[in-house]
Amino acid sequence: MAYNDDKINMVHGAGGEVMQGMISDIILNNVSKTSVNGGIGLEALDDSATIPIDDEHVIVTTIDSHTVQPLFFPGGDIGRISAAGTLNDISVMGVKPLSLNNAMVISEGFERSDLEKIVKSMDETCQEVGAAIITGDTKVIDSDKLDGMIIATAGIGVGKKENIVSDAGLKVGNKVIITGSVGDHGMAIMSKREGFGYETELKSDVAPVWGMVEAAQKVGTITAMKDPTRGGIANALNEMANKANVGMRLDEERIPIKPEVEAVSDMLGIDPFEVANEGKIVMGVEAENAEDVLQAIQKTKYGKDAQIIGEVTDKKHVIMETIIGGERLIEPPIADPVPRVC
Amino acid sequence: MKQYTANLLVDGIVQGVGFRPTIYRLAKVMKLNGYVRNMGNIVEIVVQGTYDDIKLFIDQIQEHKPIRSEINNIHVDIHEQTTPKYNDFTIVNSSNEISGTAVIPPDMSICDECLDEILDTNNQHYYYPFTACTNCGPRFTIIDEVPYDRKNTTMKKFPLCKHCNQEYTNPLDRRYHAEATCCPDCGPEVYLYKDGKIPTRDPIRQTSQLIDEGNIIAIKGIGGTHLVCKTSTDDAIEKLRERLGRKTQPFACMTPDIQTASLFVTYTQQEKEVLQSVAKPIVVLNKSPEYNLSPQLSPNLHNQGVMLPYTGLHHLLFKYTLEPAYVMTSANMPGNPMLIDNKEITTKLEDIADYYLLHDRKILNRCDDSVIRFRNNKPSFIRRSRGYVPKPFDFTKINTTKNILALGPELDVTFSILKEGKCYPSQHIGNTSKYKTLEFMKDAIKHLLKLTRTDKIDYIVADMHPEFNTTKLAKELSKKYNTELIQVQHHHAHAASLMSEHQLDEMVAITADGVGYGEDGNIWGGEVLYLNNTGEYKNHGGLTLQPMPGGDLSTKYPIRMAMGILYNIMDTEELRNLMKTDYSDYFKYGEKEVDITLKQLENNFNTAQTSSMGRVLDSISVLLGISKNRGYEGECSMKLESVAREGFDLLKIEPIYEIKNNKTLINTSKLLYEVVKLMKSGVGIDEIACAAQRTLAEALSKIAINTAKAYNTKIIGVTGGVFYNEYISKVVKETLTNEGYTYIQHKQTCPGDGSVSMGQCAIAGWKTQE
Ligand SMILES: [Fe+3]
Ligand SMILES: [Mg+2]
Ligand SMILES: [Zn+2]
Ligand SMILES: [Zn+2]
Repeated sequence: MAYNDDKINMVHGAGGEVMQGMISDIILNNVSKTSVNGGIGLEALDDSATIPIDDEHVIVTTIDSHTVQPLFFPGGDIGRISAAGTLNDISVMGVKPLSLNNAMVISEGFERSDLEKIVKSMDETCQEVGAAIITGDTKVIDSDKLDGMIIATAGIGVGKKENIVSDAGLKVGNKVIITGSVGDHGMAIMSKREGFGYETELKSDVAPVWGMVEAAQKVGTITAMKDPTRGGIANALNEMANKANVGMRLDEERIPIKPEVEAVSDMLGIDPFEVANEGKIVMGVEAENAEDVLQAIQKTKYGKDAQIIGEVTDKKHVIMETIIGGERLIEPPIADPVPRVC
Repeated sequence: MKQYTANLLVDGIVQGVGFRPTIYRLAKVMKLNGYVRNMGNIVEIVVQGTYDDIKLFIDQIQEHKPIRSEINNIHVDIHEQTTPKYNDFTIVNSSNEISGTAVIPPDMSICDECLDEILDTNNQHYYYPFTACTNCGPRFTIIDEVPYDRKNTTMKKFPLCKHCNQEYTNPLDRRYHAEATCCPDCGPEVYLYKDGKIPTRDPIRQTSQLIDEGNIIAIKGIGGTHLVCKTSTDDAIEKLRERLGRKTQPFACMTPDIQTASLFVTYTQQEKEVLQSVAKPIVVLNKSPEYNLSPQLSPNLHNQGVMLPYTGLHHLLFKYTLEPAYVMTSANMPGNPMLIDNKEITTKLEDIADYYLLHDRKILNRCDDSVIRFRNNKPSFIRRSRGYVPKPFDFTKINTTKNILALGPELDVTFSILKEGKCYPSQHIGNTSKYKTLEFMKDAIKHLLKLTRTDKIDYIVADMHPEFNTTKLAKELSKKYNTELIQVQHHHAHAASLMSEHQLDEMVAITADGVGYGEDGNIWGGEVLYLNNTGEYKNHGGLTLQPMPGGDLSTKYPIRMAMGILYNIMDTEELRNLMKTDYSDYFKYGEKEVDITLKQLENNFNTAQTSSMGRVLDSISVLLGISKNRGYEGECSMKLESVAREGFDLLKIEPIYEIKNNKTLINTSKLLYEVVKLMKSGVGIDEIACAAQRTLAEALSKIAINTAKAYNTKIIGVTGGVFYNEYISKVVKETLTNEGYTYIQHKQTCPGDGSVSMGQCAIAGWKTQE
């Protein structure tokens, strides 16, 4: 775990503090214009950027590249992830995603039938939210340069300014909602990749979240939201709290987690709060209509297990009341866990 | 005769110990005029007379200083004075101007005079639990600010009655300016509580009755709150264990006097002296063959933590009971700070205590009981807290003028302040991975900075572990104070605390404990280091690195660690079989966890590398079936030590060494495999336990000796939590002394993590020497 500061390391892509450091040091420091028309730009490190086009409307746009191993996994494949990932980043800005741009880099020798499955899967995912794939690019490269494929997708949505939800809008007293069980995607991928053999039990949650956002916005006010992908909810909750300069108090008992996810993470020593989700949202909502928002989400296809898991405080830390009693600080993961118990 | 005026500034433990009245009396006897006063955290004396008078006066101060005081230094400024300025000697009001290295004393157990008064029906203090004088009572726990005046303590809420005021204002009285003095007419009140105050004429007597009936009582004391129950039967302790969720962790007990203690534990003369000392720490003593307290008190261990009463309340509590001892354990939820606030006590302990014995004096500085254990017939601390804090260590050998704040590691944390040649370790803070404990630490830091009058910090020191909350706090503080952050390797800090305690310039150290983040990103805990007073060190080997499948999981479930160690030597299928047949119920998820752990080892997935000796001892303990998993810190290795005591110490296991990157390493896979084979062949587990401990102790000593040879030094110290182990400490000492080396162990500090912050201060001090 000793990093060489001159080289990019795997931990720089792990979604933790080390990656955040690289982004601000190397990327933010070297880009001169980072936003358009006063919209949400690069500096905000939000899920998507916005470009105001008139007094009322904004374009919401984002891009994401996907390099999952294995390409096909229980609950999904790289096609579904690369569609859902980008659609979700638009959705958690509070805006309906309209379209995807799709760039695929494929290694020489890739199975045609696999490629077809992947494209179909992308398309099905887009159909769920009514989004179109409107432009794209394909490249094929040497099989010794790339194992499998990389898909980069950019997304676009157009919405009203007043509906835009940033990461940073949490207010003290807001309730925190999570739209379903945590850790499903990360544990499923890990288990499949490492051959731990829990394919029948562990399934990725990869899915488009727009339906839940739409339902929530109809009945209440969302003050902030994120999709807790890399770094899990530990990362997403801390990021939201930090950006708003607030803290949270969570109740462990109310955080939904599937028993099989809990068991496998228990056996591997992996914190399920720190692994990726691909079909969930964490959001802050006004306390007075939190119950309504929760019920609306629970009625949607992917939101059955949604829960209010805590509330926003002025304490500057994300603190969880644990089931056994006592409080635990939820910290953003740095990279891999380092043993600390004496 | 020429007349002089001398201005004396006295540094040390000089406030709150009856220093000023002693000076007053001395001056009066010698017929010298002038005054004495508290100034900031030191004492100022102005006296006039002939040169010889003044010189004699200073000698007399040294000779007749109050028993609880300590003088670090008397700064003398003397000049000729033709017309005398003073015509009397007076004690004048405190002033606030100066800051030195002086400090208020630790809390002291009740003195014999006060105790006699409590038991004397004709005395004003009869039966009064808060009786105190200048020689005894609380100090550190009640003070908010220096100078130590009543108005700066929690006693300010209790104006003195006429009787107490007379004693308080009479320089010839034992209670002259005894800031904690009070009596039933003016002081705090003790009361029994359950859903409201319970009306009773004698709450203390009723409390002991309730305890004897099997109830659990939360008793608020001086620096914190205890959970108390009887020890002669199992039921009350079992109930307490159940309610606390502390299944096996040993409880300390309090026994009324040393005679009663000898009914169930044995002690040496030195142990007895420590037990009875004014600090009244818990001393871990061997159970006597006649031990007849409940086996639930310290299950499966050969020893027992014992302390004697240290307040009037404790003495009164034991007055009417026939119980030989009461459980006295800190009232806190696991990992969280001890409760000190009445409202919190009654709400948070709702499901644990049946009744509460409370009082209305606020506890300002929480301070847990100190714990001492002897090794090689010498005491050292498991926890240095009440009765010792805030007494500083002499760091004048470290030539730095910088103020340094060091935050320690994560578990069993203290922090330390280094200022003007003194290092002040804090009281026990605890497990800072818990939010509440971290908050307590922040408060305690502010407080100790105030008491030591440290208003600027030049360096902040933290552990190297990237995820410790103390590391993060240090980063925050270094931003806030705009100071440089120095990160120190964990075991380097362990060794530095030992080296600075002994005021040495260099040494070789065996550092063996549970977990410490190493320079190379691996988890260290079984190393031989060389270090010196430049603040640098070098690692010279120790135990081989072993995989920890699942990281911290391997600490909680040491069978996983044992599996990792054996994975490096056994055939995979043979190992799978061994685990599934003999140990599958040691894993939380049974056989399927055996498979997953093996896969984890094969893939090197979430598997840190560690050279921790604690983890090796844990592994031996579980492989021998002595313990299954870890219910409390150190459980597996403590039980291993207890079992090993039964062995004849004749069996030998040869250590296997290997050389890697110029370091000599002890191959722990071969050692563990040998342990498994011996057990399979039917050798007694006590013999194997003993032999394995000996092998590790001797082999580490050998590496240390070779290192010492290379540096041409004779001094080898031992540090880290492993050296609470009496047997391992003994074998290392014998091995080193037999070869002509000087063995050094902790005396006034802790081998464990409680002294890491002091070592961090030392290293930062050495690195920043002028
Ligand atoms: Fe340690
Ligand atoms: Mg967002
Ligand atoms: Zn006294
Ligand atoms: Zn009184």
